[in-house]
Amino acid sequence: MPALRTFFARLAALFTRRRRDRELTDELESHLQMHVDDNLRRGMSPDEAHRHAVLHLGGVEQTKEIYRERRGLPMIETLLQDLRYALRMLARNLGFTAVAVLTLALSIGATTAIFSVVYGVLLRPLPYRDSSRIMSIFEINPEGHRSHLADPNFDDFRDQNRSFQTIAKYGENVVSVSGARQPTRTSIANVSPDFLQVFGIQPILGRNFATGDARKGAGPTVLVSYGYWKQELGSPQDLSQSHLKIDGAVFSVIGVLPSGFRFPSDVDLWLPADLDGENPSRTSHNYSAVGRLRDGVTVEQANQEISAIARRIHATSSEQGDYLLKDGTVVPLQDSITGKARSPLLVLLGAVGFLLLVACANVANLLLAQASVRARELAIRSALGAARGRLVRQFLTEAFLLSLIGGGLGVLGAFWGVAGLVALAPENLPRLDSVSISLPVLVFALLLSTSVAVGLGAFVAVRATSGDLRKALVEGGRVQAGGQGHQRVGRIIVAAQIAITLALVVGAGLLGRSLMKVLEVNPGFRVDKIVAMDVSLPWVEDPKAKAAQAIFFSNLIDRLKQIPGVRNVGAVSALPIADGGLPDGMFLQMTQNELPKTVDGFGPLLRQKERIGSADFGVATDGYFQVLGIPLIRGRIFDERDGPNSPHVAVISESLARDRWKSQDPIGHTIEFGNMDGDLRLLTIIGIVGDVHDYGLDLPPRPTVYVDLFQRPRSAITLTMLIDADTRLVTSAARGILQDLNPEIPAKFRTFSQVYSASLGSRKFNVILIGFFGIVALLLATAGVFGVMAYSVSRRAREIGVRVALGASSGDVLRMVLGQGLRAIFIGVAIGIIGSLALTRTLQSLLFGVNATDPLTFAGVTLLLVGTALLACYIPARRATRVDPMIALRHE
Amino acid sequence: MTDKKDVWQGTLALMVLKTLQSMGPLHGYGIARRIEQTSGDLLSVNYGTLYPALLKLEQEGYISSEWGVSDNNRKAKYYKLTRAGRKQLESEAREWEQTTEILARFLSPEEES
Repeated sequence: MPALRTFFARLAALFTRRRRDRELTDELESHLQMHVDDNLRRGMSPDEAHRHAVLHLGGVEQTKEIYRERRGLPMIETLLQDLRYALRMLARNLGFTAVAVLTLALSIGATTAIFSVVYGVLLRPLPYRDSSRIMSIFEINPEGHRSHLADPNFDDFRDQNRSFQTIAKYGENVVSVSGARQPTRTSIANVSPDFLQVFGIQPILGRNFATGDARKGAGPTVLVSYGYWKQELGSPQDLSQSHLKIDGAVFSVIGVLPSGFRFPSDVDLWLPADLDGENPSRTSHNYSAVGRLRDGVTVEQANQEISAIARRIHATSSEQGDYLLKDGTVVPLQDSITGKARSPLLVLLGAVGFLLLVACANVANLLLAQASVRARELAIRSALGAARGRLVRQFLTEAFLLSLIGGGLGVLGAFWGVAGLVALAPENLPRLDSVSISLPVLVFALLLSTSVAVGLGAFVAVRATSGDLRKALVEGGRVQAGGQGHQRVGRIIVAAQIAITLALVVGAGLLGRSLMKVLEVNPGFRVDKIVAMDVSLPWVEDPKAKAAQAIFFSNLIDRLKQIPGVRNVGAVSALPIADGGLPDGMFLQMTQNELPKTVDGFGPLLRQKERIGSADFGVATDGYFQVLGIPLIRGRIFDERDGPNSPHVAVISESLARDRWKSQDPIGHTIEFGNMDGDLRLLTIIGIVGDVHDYGLDLPPRPTVYVDLFQRPRSAITLTMLIDADTRLVTSAARGILQDLNPEIPAKFRTFSQVYSASLGSRKFNVILIGFFGIVALLLATAGVFGVMAYSVSRRAREIGVRVALGASSGDVLRMVLGQGLRAIFIGVAIGIIGSLALTRTLQSLLFGVNATDPLTFAGVTLLLVGTALLACYIPARRATRVDPMIALRHE
Repeated sequence: MTDKKDVWQGTLALMVLKTLQSMGPLHGYGIARRIEQTSGDLLSVNYGTLYPALLKLEQEGYISSEWGVSDNNRKAKYYKLTRAGRKQLESEAREWEQTTEILARFLSPEEES
């Protein structure tokens, strides 16, 4: 206790130093006077009384010094002294300070901003209780990829595992919902009843699903998100009157989930899965699965168990083939959400780290130049008895001050930076909403600034205080101490800067070239002037009801064509690129005679490899191909001949025709693709259309089978309108028509070009950021080269003067100075190229159409860098040639 | 004067506390005088030892100080014992007595062996 008290007393004394000094003086003075008074009383003469008292009491100043040391905290006082001194130094060299602080602020700010994204997306725990125990569970398909789960497989995983407390499945969908404020297209999830237990949450109002709610034929129930409850339902406390019409059926709202719970992301309504019963097939992969591990079970144990169950299914299932699972796996939920974002983000972090290094190198050079200007001051301090440790501490203090000011400004900048990053970030970057300047990010920024300070300070201090400092004094202020050494270190720093910058710019170049290559890809369809309109009708199974929906869509298309400015209208089950592609499946090549009478009859056919083909399955109208400009290569597209009762037809994509039928003409052949929509009627191929990159420009086109919407009706479609009028006029007219046909059906509009450019978002994001970092690094490195060369020329003015006086031509001088710079540049470039060759390999997965060692990029970047650096050398070198020997010699 | 002993820190603190206990609030000069007198002028207390010791005691919370006026009208800082100081004095005095007792036993001529 007394020790703690003492500490606080001493700490407090730091702030009241002046008053306490005065008090001590007074106290000692009064002590002396009292002593003198006593002496006088004893009969001494005034002089003697005074002398006696002073002798008895000892040195006043000494006492004060001892007293002061006891009173405050000497360590902190020295620190404060160093700080005051450092502040004075920085204030005196405002230009230097501003450049150093801004350089550090820019780089620390950029690094902090990027780190906040990395932290928010990859590192920050998911906002659920013990979120690290929540796992995603996948099937592994024969190709080795993760896939969704089929119902019976999920049931086996659930019933046979001992690793999980709970596992639940969920499927996502977008449906039409009415009964709330207005009909909307809303994201929903179909979940098994113990879905919420996995996340450890409970409804804040109402109740959770009970087992009975998921039973076939149970009264439909729904849980709603907090936001939906507030905005769409008007936050009723009593849910008994809340009903929603979802895809035509009426659901009772039974509970409200806590605010902030949106899993899967953007979902507003959770419905029990399998209200119509489970799908008995082991090859219909319709659900994702999550589970919470039991206490004490590791991810690896769970993984092994699920894998064993999966392999058992594989070994015993009767449904052998390309679509039956081969294995199973367990991955932490967080990893499965952010898996794809990981490598681009880490590349970004690496890139900004490089920028930081280049920036620090510049500041180090600035500090070194400063230090050699201060050589005289250091010499004097050292001559007056300052220990080397004290001088080192002075440099460290200055570096700390610079870094912390820079870091502080950087963090302020990072607030804007993060807002900008979030705005710029591609839509498919997961967890963007959890990106912010949070406490861990601030701690990171502080640690970063501190390590920058320690690095810079220690480096400069050791350089500046090594050797015999006092030589600077002996040389009569000519300040040559360490001059040569400092210049050499400067050039080494410049070489390092050039190497790092080269690697960064090469990375930016490779990504930029990839983006250009992607943009060169012909998507296979038109992008501009297309408005998409998503419409979904209640899901129905009855063929008559389906036919009625087809007529509804046919009417809608006819009415939409009447809108002024609409040139053509089509419909498709899913837009390429935008909707993540079409579903794929297995089809069978067969003739009408071979068609089995019962489903069981398909078994033997499925084992005949030569019959089986694999393709994406799209439902479209003839207008769709015209609107998107997908070319007809041979045969014809659907027309009025193909009514619901005439033979069903299909149009296939060029690559499917080529790969599947090789030299044969597929037109006229028949296939069976009933597993996609339950319709077992054969499809006659009538035409071949161009390939479409429907999973993204950087992925190869997929073989596709298109069927006619009016023969194979479905409830949810996307209408595509080719327009030459204002988008808003068209959308409001279209909305009016839909309302007129059925006021309960919502529509969602988007322009195809929006969707298309969003698909390039993550590439553009990387190119913009890394390109920006590259440019900044290039500027910094150029400034670094220029600074070192200019400094070196100014320090060597005398030497150059002597050379010129002895007959060196200006060409000689130019060559000498340039030569010195060139050596640093070439060493830097060489190291940079070797380093880049090693580093760009990590970029491989982000590249498209260019090799990680693309010679063109490497050559271009090297030229750019050497050119800029040479220019930066040339200006100081020119200045060197104009040195007047007389002035230079007299100068010092 | 040359044969007078300087006090060392640990014991000085105890003497200061004891002095304040028996004399009540007192200024630095008074404390020094009192200690010198009590020691029969064997000890000499100068500024350099007294004031840092007073500061330390004050920081530890054993004494507190206040400006006042002395008998002959001089402004002086008066120190007085706090409650923590009283306790500290008791325990230190006890320890000191023990120590001296033990040492005395060692140093006194052995009575039997």
